[in-house]
Amino acid sequence: MIEISELTVRFGGVRPLDDMSVCFERGTCGLIGPNGAGKTTFFNVMSGFVKPLSGSITAFGDNLLKMPHFRRARWGLRRTFQTEQAIEELSVLDNVAMVWEHSRQEGRGNRRQDVTAALAFVGLEVDPDVKVGTLGARERRLVEVARAVVGRPKIVLLDEPAAGLPDEETEHLGRVISAIPDAMGALVVLVDHDMTLVSACCETTAVLDFGKLIAAGPTAEVLRDERVIKAYLGTEEDL
Amino acid sequence: MSGTVEKVPAAASPGRSPGTLQGPARVRIAVLGAVLLFVLFALPSLLSAYWVDVLTSVSIYAVVSLGLGLLMGRVGLVSLGQIAILALGAWIAARLTYATSLPYPVVLLLAGVLTAILGTLVGLPALRLSGLFLALITLMLAGAITVVLTTTQFPNGGPHFLGHTDSSLGSNAIRRPSIALSDTGYFRYTVVFSVLMFGLVVLHLRSKAGRAWAAIRQSEASALASGVNITLYKLWALALASFITGIAGGVLAGDVGKLYIVTFPTSANILLLAAVLMGGIYTLWGAIAAGILIKLLPALLDSWGLPPDLLTILFGVGILQVLTTAPAGVAAQLPHDLAKLARLITRPFRRAAAAGKGSSS
Amino acid sequence: MSALAFLGLPTWENFKPFIVTGLALGGVYAVSGVGMVVLYQTTGVLNLAFGAVGALGAFIAWEMINNTGLPTWVAILTCIGFGGVVTLTYGVIFGPPLAARDPLTKAVATLGLALILLGAMSWIWSDKARSLDLSTSNSGFEVNGVLVNWTQVIAMGFAVGLTIVTVIYLRYTRTGTAMRALADDREITATLGVPVRRVEASAWFVSGCVSGGAGLLLGNLVGLDAATLTFLVISSLAAALIARLNSVVVTLIAGLAVGLVNAMLAPILSVSEYRDMSPFIMATIALLWLSRKDIRVTGVR
Repeated sequence: MIEISELTVRFGGVRPLDDMSVCFERGTCGLIGPNGAGKTTFFNVMSGFVKPLSGSITAFGDNLLKMPHFRRARWGLRRTFQTEQAIEELSVLDNVAMVWEHSRQEGRGNRRQDVTAALAFVGLEVDPDVKVGTLGARERRLVEVARAVVGRPKIVLLDEPAAGLPDEETEHLGRVISAIPDAMGALVVLVDHDMTLVSACCETTAVLDFGKLIAAGPTAEVLRDERVIKAYLGTEEDL
Repeated sequence: MSGTVEKVPAAASPGRSPGTLQGPARVRIAVLGAVLLFVLFALPSLLSAYWVDVLTSVSIYAVVSLGLGLLMGRVGLVSLGQIAILALGAWIAARLTYATSLPYPVVLLLAGVLTAILGTLVGLPALRLSGLFLALITLMLAGAITVVLTTTQFPNGGPHFLGHTDSSLGSNAIRRPSIALSDTGYFRYTVVFSVLMFGLVVLHLRSKAGRAWAAIRQSEASALASGVNITLYKLWALALASFITGIAGGVLAGDVGKLYIVTFPTSANILLLAAVLMGGIYTLWGAIAAGILIKLLPALLDSWGLPPDLLTILFGVGILQVLTTAPAGVAAQLPHDLAKLARLITRPFRRAAAAGKGSSS
Repeated sequence: MSALAFLGLPTWENFKPFIVTGLALGGVYAVSGVGMVVLYQTTGVLNLAFGAVGALGAFIAWEMINNTGLPTWVAILTCIGFGGVVTLTYGVIFGPPLAARDPLTKAVATLGLALILLGAMSWIWSDKARSLDLSTSNSGFEVNGVLVNWTQVIAMGFAVGLTIVTVIYLRYTRTGTAMRALADDREITATLGVPVRRVEASAWFVSGCVSGGAGLLLGNLVGLDAATLTFLVISSLAAALIARLNSVVVTLIAGLAVGLVNAMLAPILSVSEYRDMSPFIMATIALLWLSRKDIRVTGVR
């Protein structure tokens, strides 16, 4: 469980996150909101790239904000990025192995086993020694997800993993994401604009608007909530 | 299920990253080994002493270029003071040869280690700075080192810590290893050490550090999110680059016998940067190309009666050309061409190997 | 026993002449520093060829003074104008293709220009020792027992004057304000209808002229040697770095300080031979100290 309490971030005169308090309990949790709502800022706070003005994050009983950013991966935090994809000049295997090397707990697990398991889990069927730079968008996304689930992570943050993907691949991705909590034992927070994907994967969803939490609860209810619909008016999202 | 699944056959995939030793890689290594044997044993007898000496320098500066290429290409760190580091390594090695009777490889190793320690100590506080300021600090420090060395000069058998004497009576040349007293012998010694240094870097590139560097180069944020301690790995790259440059300095000391500060002018730092940019910072071949640019071209120009200043101008143009058009360096083309050539040469061997496999299955 | 003697240092009388040479040289460092800082703030380019441009201008002036019948003032104007034109040409040709790159790349590119100019100078004029004689060095006056020649006065005056003019210009003129706006935020300034290309061109040209002037002064105060003059830019750079490439006034003070410290170490025999290190050490310490609170941006959106 991740408990976020009164999290506030300030950049100059803007507050990308304003007194955000929410609980992500288990399984796959959605985090949605219009552009600029603060979702990526929230992920950046979790990753340690942005220091909040105030507030706290307690994840599985540990104070996340106290840890230096690169140590959080070792603790069990993983994340994908909207644009920074997997490392192009390394092979698929090396990409996933790299994350395993830097974020495993001492002495636990076997590299080849864990990496192969992660690649099989996301359903990536390419030669693992091929450079990621030669792969297409779909395969790269899957490599990125494999990097996020290798080993035994505690939290997996997925930042718009389906952006730009055609429907059938989004479906496959959705199946993979839904399976993460059971297969890997991790809590997943999914940010995306594709509401079909969010509905399919996430039991619960939280909604941000202008840095504030405006709704949280079972996904179907949240998507019907009037405040949420109003927040999205004026943008071309299909609910 | 998903529609586009291709099982990419292992041997023919063009985008293979280093890691497994099969088929084409084995052939490549065999070719490299053959070239190396040729260079070590056949080449010196084909050339005059002067050109053997030039090639010794090429080998030394290829290692220095490798260090700078490592910093720039793998970690994005521009150092404008690598020649000053080379001078430091040369000083340390020279001092050790006079002060001790340690075997030469040990002297070189010590020179490398001490240079690495100095390089890391100096780099540590500066890593916090942005790219431009960091590069300028390296320039400042190179300037400082040059001033110190201009005054202390280099050890030549003299007394005290500095080991320098102005009189010709008390001074003698830096000793060479007993197995490499002749110029040809020293050339082979240099090539062996250079190959070892290249090998050391290759080992790193294929290891955890190499993967971490690749991650850092692509995106620091993504690397951090993967758990990479960026400061540590940047320092590691700095230490490695300083180490190989220090060893190169030691080899240089034995090569020239007498060291002078004019061997390491401030302009050389910039010329090195130009050569490395032109040779290409992302490949190992680029380092060799840079060594050729720095030491072979001037000798060629000299033998044709052309002024060395031409080269300075050429390097200046080279920097501008590389930065405005081909960021991967002019020699990024060369490996492609060489690789094509290698494939052409090894095609009959590969065909035989494939036929052999087919018949045994 | 005086305090200096107590510390084992030479007497005040020994130091006095070095104050003048130090301030004069420091003045030129400051001038170069200010030229570089203003250009950097306006275009994002740290012109490391600053010294080389000035050196080439000085060589041309030398050629004109010694080998043609033209009067000295023509040579001086040519040098200054040459500096402006070469720098402007570089800025116009290589500014746009590199505009989107980071400051480090842009600075390294100017090293390309520096090498080209350095090579050209070595080729045309070779390594013969030369000096750039300016008539202003032949006369001067005495202050408190120390001789000061007019060139040195010009150097110091140029520094102070340039700084004052620059500060006023940046503050009160339209182009100056546009330069400050560009320094602050490039993209927004462009959308506000500011003629970015023209403002940048002014910055390139004027900073080039300044480098020409600095080249003349250094050619006289230090000597006319291609490599020395080209790499003396590193000492001017020290002043600009202490100012973190930011404040023109701090650059002035830093330049004078760097020149002064360097010169004042000359009579102290124990460190005299190492005094040329002082600009580098000062810059390194200042930069590390001033950046100690900086949080590195890890390039996250």
